[in-house]
Amino acid sequence: MTAVTCELCPRACVIPEGAAGDCRVRVNLGGKLRATTYGRPSAVHIDPMEKKPLYHFHPGSRIFSLGTAGCNLHCLNCQNWQLSQRGGDEVEQTYRAEPAEVVAAAKGEGCRSIAYTYSDPVVFYEYVEDTATLARAAGLTNVFVTAAYINREPLRRICRVLDAAHGDLKGFDDGFYRRVSGATLKPVLDALVTFREEGVWLEVINLVIPTLNDDLAMIRRMARWMVAELGADTPLHFSRFSPQYRMRNLPPTPVETLVRARAEALDAGLRYVYIGNVRGDTGSSTVCPRDGTLLIGRSGFTITANHLTADGRCPTCNDKIPGVWQ
Amino acid sequence: MSDGREPQAGAVVARRRFLGLLGALLGGLGVTLGTTSGATRQPEADVPRERPLKEADFYRPHDLAG
Ligand SMILES: [Zn+2]
Repeated sequence: MTAVTCELCPRACVIPEGAAGDCRVRVNLGGKLRATTYGRPSAVHIDPMEKKPLYHFHPGSRIFSLGTAGCNLHCLNCQNWQLSQRGGDEVEQTYRAEPAEVVAAAKGEGCRSIAYTYSDPVVFYEYVEDTATLARAAGLTNVFVTAAYINREPLRRICRVLDAAHGDLKGFDDGFYRRVSGATLKPVLDALVTFREEGVWLEVINLVIPTLNDDLAMIRRMARWMVAELGADTPLHFSRFSPQYRMRNLPPTPVETLVRARAEALDAGLRYVYIGNVRGDTGSSTVCPRDGTLLIGRSGFTITANHLTADGRCPTCNDKIPGVWQ
Repeated sequence: MSDGREPQAGAVVARRRFLGLLGALLGGLGVTLGTTSGATRQPEADVPRERPLKEADFYRPHDLAG
């Protein structure tokens, strides 16, 4: 009986023969590590890009999105727990979809991008890598929607075939990560920096949970870290918590809290800070940081106005607005 | 790094092995499950039905985040 160590994420699971790692889907078969959900997505949808959410990457386009069972985090508030907190043989449905079929389906539906999302694509890494390689060759772009709990070496490798990442920064406190997600903060920060270093377009999301991570001083520290390490042009999305899974004891985040968090982050120097998961269009528009010109208006996942120039500039001051617009 | 490129048969094997071990353990302990059908007797019964991708409705509304 040969145990194997999974080197993909910071958990470094030592997996005995016949058993699975903490993510439930990476198993030791005969002394070899296998990803059991390779080619077996359990959720496949076509979503608006704004749902990922990515606001500075092909706005208004539709993105072919897939996810498999399993996750290397165990967040008490996981919205997708029926997918993420189950193994491949415990989910309600699974599709057979080899990488070439995914790319063909995405192209056939007129999508320009593929998102690896819903659970955490870290745990179906090999499937992402093979699909993204084919997708890029076929002229599609690849988006990695992740909690960024991954080791640096495999992350650098997958970045070669990624165009954009949506990274979760769940809180700027290691204790919060341990209590709520069963993870740690430092590897996440390192991974976000790696995305930037590797030239992958990055947007960050922070789900604000009442009493757990809504301290404005902590939010300010997080925003300052982003300015210093990721750059002031990195979009930050504050998202509204709603009670679910194993965290039903807390109320939904008051919109006022999100508005204050956004003001704090803007004051700390970030230039594009959004509010998501709320009704209406509070904090959802992109405006020019220099002159306040409305650049992209949004309502929910819908683009209501787009005044960017063809080459992604503010029509008033001609400043280049960071993002991937074409 | 791992090699995840031949997992199709592997997943089923892993699961059968796990169920076999589980069954042996439960049997050995004399534990009775709520149903007598027994996971080890019909190992395919609770395997999710794998469908070809072309049967997926990509536009079906869903409430998954991300
Ligand atoms: Zn301007």
